[in-house]
Amino acid sequence: MVDLPKKKVGVVACSGEELPEGTITRLAALQVLEKSRPDDTVTICLPLFLAGGEGDRAFAKFYPTISVDGCELRCAAKATEKYSNKPAVSIMVRDLIEQNQLSEPKGRRRLNTAGIQAVEATAQEIVRSVDELLGRQWNRRSGELIQLEISGAVQTVTAQDSNTATCSCGSGIPVQNVIVAGQQVTVVGLPLIFQQFSEAGKNPNSETVNELMNTIKIYNSISSDDEPEYRQAIQKAYTQFWFTEKR
Amino acid sequence: MNPSHPLQKVLVVPCSGIGKTYGTVSREAAYIVTEDLRPSETRLLALSKLVLGDEEARSAVEGNPAITIDGCKLACATKMVIESGGSITQDYAVLDVYRRYRQFKPQGIAELNECGEQLAQALAAEISQVVDRMNADQTGGSNG
Repeated sequence: MVDLPKKKVGVVACSGEELPEGTITRLAALQVLEKSRPDDTVTICLPLFLAGGEGDRAFAKFYPTISVDGCELRCAAKATEKYSNKPAVSIMVRDLIEQNQLSEPKGRRRLNTAGIQAVEATAQEIVRSVDELLGRQWNRRSGELIQLEISGAVQTVTAQDSNTATCSCGSGIPVQNVIVAGQQVTVVGLPLIFQQFSEAGKNPNSETVNELMNTIKIYNSISSDDEPEYRQAIQKAYTQFWFTEKR
Repeated sequence: MNPSHPLQKVLVVPCSGIGKTYGTVSREAAYIVTEDLRPSETRLLALSKLVLGDEEARSAVEGNPAITIDGCKLACATKMVIESGGSITQDYAVLDVYRRYRQFKPQGIAELNECGEQLAQALAAEISQVVDRMNADQTGGSNG
């Protein structure tokens, strides 16, 4: 049985090595990935949008993504939008330093106290955004997350090692092109989704297509106007996949 | 080379590896070279600027020799420098460096263990030698 990737939030840090603020983005992202929200987050090295393959460039389409930048250049936000997809949330460390009235961070290699405080503030902002993107709220009374939205795909996920940052480098997200209303469209995660449905013995009937569409929409943004055309395209593609697999 | 032209700075470009130990080693080695060992002859260049296509970064890459350090086989640093029109004098893959210094097994991502630090030091020492050779060639060219 193929496990679909859980709906996670992508975190892309600029990691700007020239500035303390760049180090802050990296350490804050790592704190969230390794400690605060290890099961809910995944990352990718920014250069892979250019140096990697199509699967890497699908990252921000597949995951709602938070860009974390150190300075006004906003390399992570701009490059993510240019090569993958517009980030769902953009965070800039210098803004947070100002908002939190922190002192100037120093030491790109070893941060000073103000830098460490900025890491904390940035990590908290990333966590807040992750929870918001996953449709969760914090219950102040119990001190726990309230999960508001659970989809079937989310429930089938295999547990991740909670102490390791989930790095997507080189893993690539499988994509497939389908023709929707005469236009070629890239659907992220489609090969895995088809494989999972086929292995579950789901015939390409109307009910299965409904389920397929619901799963596909977790990872792809499809407007209600476009949905009928997508439905037709997915039905055709899955029917072809089904009979090829059963041959 | 024009003798009045200032000597070029060697760009040291580590990968932006965030989720793997070798990426941290690449960055640490770059810091050791540019901050401790050869601060006046080298300059650290952030890869994210090249990804963005920042004009100043591209211009630096076009006008100066570069040494790249990659943490994994995807070789983002090397690819990005080439893509940006730069010329690479030496490219390092941390895994290959580790094969030469197997006594230093690196661990840790946010913070390297002691062996990771030693591996970064060893790599930085190699890079410094390359920088010295490049500078000697440059000075020789200027004088000759």
